[in-house]
Amino acid sequence: MKTSFTETQLARPEIAEADKILGTCQHFGFCTSGCPTYTLLHDENDGPRGRIDLIKEMLEQGGSPSPKTIGHIDRCLSCMSCMTTCAVKVDYMHLVDIGRVYIEENYRRPWRDRIPRDVLGYVLPRPALFKAMLAAGRLALRFEKLMPPSLRHMTKLIPEAAKASPHSLAACTVYPAQNERRWRVAVLAGCVQPVLSPHINDATIRLLTRLGCEVIVPAAAGCCGSLNLHMGKRDAAMQFAAANIRAWVSEMDGEGLDAIVVNASGCGTTVKDYGHMFSGDADLAEAAHRVSNIAMDISEWLQSMGLSDSALLPPYKVAYHDACSLRNAQKVTVQPRDLLRQAGFHVVDVGEAHFCCGSAGTYNMFQPELARQLGARKAANIARVEPQIIAAGNIGCINQIRLYSGIPIVHTVELLDWAHGGPVPPALEGVRLETPEPMAREPEPASAAEAPIHLHRHTGTSDESDLGVW
Amino acid sequence: MTTDLSAFLDAVSAALGKEWVDQRPETVKRYGEHTLPGAERPPAAVLFPESTQQVQSIVRAANQHGVQLYPISTGNNIGLGSRAPIKPGQVIVDLGYRMNRILEVNEETCFAEVQPGVSFQMLHDELARRGDKLMVSATSGPPHGGILGNAMDRGAGYGPYFDHFGMLCGMEVVLGNGDIVRTGDGSLEGDNLVNWHVSKYSFGPALDGLFAQSNFGIVTRAAIWLMPRPPAARSFHFVFPDDEDIGEIIDLCRPMKLSNFVPTLFRISNDLYAMAPEDQNWEYLQGSKEAFSVEGRRTLQEKHGLGAWQVSGMFYGASDAAIEPSIQRVKAHFERSGKARYISHDEALGIPALSIAIDAMNGRPSANELGMLQWRPGSGNSWFLPGTPMVGRQALELDRLGREIYAKHGMDYIIMHVASARFARGLHVLVWNKDDADENARADACYRELAHEFAKRGVGVGRAPADYHDLHMGMMMPSLQKAFGEIKNALDPNGILAQGKYGIYSVGETVETR
Repeated sequence: MKTSFTETQLARPEIAEADKILGTCQHFGFCTSGCPTYTLLHDENDGPRGRIDLIKEMLEQGGSPSPKTIGHIDRCLSCMSCMTTCAVKVDYMHLVDIGRVYIEENYRRPWRDRIPRDVLGYVLPRPALFKAMLAAGRLALRFEKLMPPSLRHMTKLIPEAAKASPHSLAACTVYPAQNERRWRVAVLAGCVQPVLSPHINDATIRLLTRLGCEVIVPAAAGCCGSLNLHMGKRDAAMQFAAANIRAWVSEMDGEGLDAIVVNASGCGTTVKDYGHMFSGDADLAEAAHRVSNIAMDISEWLQSMGLSDSALLPPYKVAYHDACSLRNAQKVTVQPRDLLRQAGFHVVDVGEAHFCCGSAGTYNMFQPELARQLGARKAANIARVEPQIIAAGNIGCINQIRLYSGIPIVHTVELLDWAHGGPVPPALEGVRLETPEPMAREPEPASAAEAPIHLHRHTGTSDESDLGVW
Repeated sequence: MTTDLSAFLDAVSAALGKEWVDQRPETVKRYGEHTLPGAERPPAAVLFPESTQQVQSIVRAANQHGVQLYPISTGNNIGLGSRAPIKPGQVIVDLGYRMNRILEVNEETCFAEVQPGVSFQMLHDELARRGDKLMVSATSGPPHGGILGNAMDRGAGYGPYFDHFGMLCGMEVVLGNGDIVRTGDGSLEGDNLVNWHVSKYSFGPALDGLFAQSNFGIVTRAAIWLMPRPPAARSFHFVFPDDEDIGEIIDLCRPMKLSNFVPTLFRISNDLYAMAPEDQNWEYLQGSKEAFSVEGRRTLQEKHGLGAWQVSGMFYGASDAAIEPSIQRVKAHFERSGKARYISHDEALGIPALSIAIDAMNGRPSANELGMLQWRPGSGNSWFLPGTPMVGRQALELDRLGREIYAKHGMDYIIMHVASARFARGLHVLVWNKDDADENARADACYRELAHEFAKRGVGVGRAPADYHDLHMGMMMPSLQKAFGEIKNALDPNGILAQGKYGIYSVGETVETR
C-alpha cells in the first residue's frame, strides 16, 4: 500500500515505523474472515483492512482523529487473528498500538470514556490499589441498581474473592528449589493476577520449585505494561516495563537467570516485545533485548525442562482454550497440549480457536456488548466438546469464559501442578468429576507384521459400524 | 433488457432486509479489489442472503429488473480473481457471510452437507470436535477459503479425495431463471432423500458438471465426501539438485500412482515455490528488474537445505510401523536415480517448506504457503494452471518453455507440479509489484505468452484468473463456445448470472456489451 507521509512526519520514529508497516499491506483480505469484529459487525471498517486504512488516513492527515475512526479502532480486540492468515505478515500488532497512542495523544475523549480509562490505567497495574478497588466493587454490587448504567456491566466482571492459600507464595521473593537446584528462573508476578487469582502464581511456583527451579520474584517487577499499552498510554506502559527490565537484568547480571517465566500470556506477549518497545531507548535497548530473549511462557519453559509423564490423575477431559496472545501472537499452541497430555489428561480442541473470547485486556470493560457476544460464542464452542474442565493460559480468558460457561475453568499450570503432586485447583474443589474410562494405549508392535488393524468406530449410537480399516 | 438497479435494490431489500443490501463506499471498493493486472472492478452493491429462498428472490428480482449478479462464496480465491465481479457494476451475491452452516455430517457414509460459506477451517474444526474421525481434503490455500467455491472452480487437495468437484455429491442449485433444482436423487419429492449425497447418478442426465466453472446457476448447498482419518500418517520427501531433473522425477512418480501404491498426489515443488513462503527476493529488493538469478537460487537452496525440486507424498495406515515398509519401498524406488536425497517425515516437520506439504496431505488447513505472496512486495498475484502428461520428456519440454517465458518478462519462476497417475497440474505462480506499471504490464504479457505458447502445444488450463477467462475461452472451438452460450440461454434466459465468467456469454450478447 502506498502512503503519503511528509518528510516531517517521517522524521518521527513511530510514523516511520507505521509507514513501513502500512507499505506491507496488500489488501489481499485473508484477514477479514478470521476477524471476530468483522464477523460480528459486518462492516469493512471493523475488519483489519479497514482499520489499517483508517490508521493510515489518521496518521497522514494529522490533527485530531474523528470519533468514527476511534470507534472502529477501539473495537479492535488486538487478538491478532488477522496476523495468522496474512500472507505478507503485516505487523498489525505494532501498527494498532501506534494508532492507539496517536489517539491518546491527539484526542480528548468525552469524560464518560476518559475517566474510567484513566482510573483503570492507574489502578489495575497497582495491586494494592486494585485490591482496594475490588473490595469497593464487591460492596457496590449490593447497591448495583444505584450505579450509573454505563458502569453497571463492569460489576459483572468482579469475581468472587479468591480462595488464596493462607500463605500465598508470591509475597516472598526467592523460592528455593526442592532438592537439587538445576535452574534459576524469574517469574513475573504481574498485577491483576495476584489479586484476582493468587493460586495461579502459587501453582506455578510450587511446580517449578518441585522440578528443580529456584524461583525469583523480584519485588521491583510488577505490571508488564500491556494494560496501559493497549489503551494508548505509552508512557505509563514504558515506565512499568522499564522497572521490570531493570529488576530482571539485575538478576541476570547477578546470580543469572535461565528464563523469565510468564504465566499470563497477555503479559508474556508484551514482555517478549520489550526489545521492540525499547529499540529507540539508548539506555535500555540492550537490556530489553536480553530480557525478551529469555522470556518464555510457562508452558514453553516447562516443556524445555523435559517434564516427565504423570499418571496420578484419571484422564479427565480437558478442553484447551487457546488464548489469542498465546496462539496468535506467541505461536505457542503445541506445548500446553503436550504437557497436559503427558500429565494424563484427555485434551480436546475447541472449534473457532481463532476467535477471541472477548476478554482482551480491558476490552470487556469498554466494549461490553461485543465482549458478551464473543464470550457466549466461546462458551458455546467449548460446550460442544463436552469437557469436564477447561484449561487456558491467560487469566483474562479464564475470568471472561467463567462468566459464560458453567464448566470449571483453570489455568494450565494449575492442572499440571495437580497432576504432579500439587493440590486440587480451587476452581475444582468440591466439583464432582466423573472418572472417565482410561484411554486405550496402543501397544507398540514388535514388527510391522504385528501392527494392529484399526477400526474407527462411530460412537454416537449403540449400533456401531466401522468407518475405516487400516 | 433495460436495467433498473434502484428498483432491484428495493426489491431485494424487502426480501433480505435493508441491512443485508450493502452499498457503503468501503464495501464496494474492497469487493472490487483483486490481485490481477487489470483495474479494480467495483460492484454496484453487495447482497448477503441467508437461505436458498432468499437467493431465489434475488435471482427473480434480477430477472425482473435486468440486473447482473455475481455470486461468490468466501471470496478467498486470491490470484484467480478474489471477490471482484467479472465486470464492474455487477451486484455481488456474497453467499459466504450468512450461508455458512454445516447442515449435516454423516459419520456412517462419511460426507458433510455444507452451504457455500463453510470454509476448510470450519469443517476441519467441526470434524475435530466430533472426534477427528473424518478428515477434510485441505488445499494449501487460505484456511478460510470456501469448500464449495473451491470445488465449483475445480480446485483440488492432495490426498486420495483430492478431486474436490469429483467428491461433491448431490447439489441444490438456483438456476439463472430462478428455478430451484436438486441434482441426482435429491430431485425426488419428500424430505427423506437418503441417496442424495451417496449416489452421484440418478435417472436422466447428470447435470452437476454444468455448474462447475460456469455461470448457469448458483449452488446453495451440496455434500462433499470425506475420508476417514487414518490412525497414522507419515510423509516422505526427496530433494533433487537440478532443474532438468523434473523429467526423471515425473517418470519416477508415474508408476507409483498408476498402481496407486502411493495414495496421495505427489507435490513436486521447485525451489522458489518451496522457499518463497519463508523468504523474499533480495535481488528485487535491491533494484533488480530481472528474474531471480541462478546464483540467487543456489544460495536460497543452500540456505534452506533444499534443492531445485522437492518431491513429497504421504502414506496412511494403522501405525507408523505399519507404514514404514511402504516408505522404504518408495525410498528404494527414488534412490535408484542416484540424485534423490531422502528427507524423513520427522525431519521434514522441522522444515517449513515440507511441513506445509505434510499439513496439506494430512487434512490440516494452513496459511503457511500464502507467505509466497510476499516473495516480491506489491500485491500482484496470478496463477497459470496448465498441466503435463506424466511423461518425463514432455514435462521437461514444458518446464523449459515456462522457465524461458518467465525469464523473458523478468518474472520469478515459481512452480509446483501436483502429480497423479497420468497427469500433473502445473501450478505456475506469478508474484509481482502491481504498483509498478511496467512490472504489471510484464506480468500480464508473461501470462498471455504462457497461455498462447502452451496452447500451441496442446496444453490448456484447468482454472484461470478472471482477467483471462475470455482469452482461454477464445482458444476453444467455436462450436463448443456456441454450445456453452446456448446452455446459458436455456438456463439463464435473461443472462443475469455473472455474464462473462469463464468466458461464457449468452448467445446474442454482442462484443460491445461484453
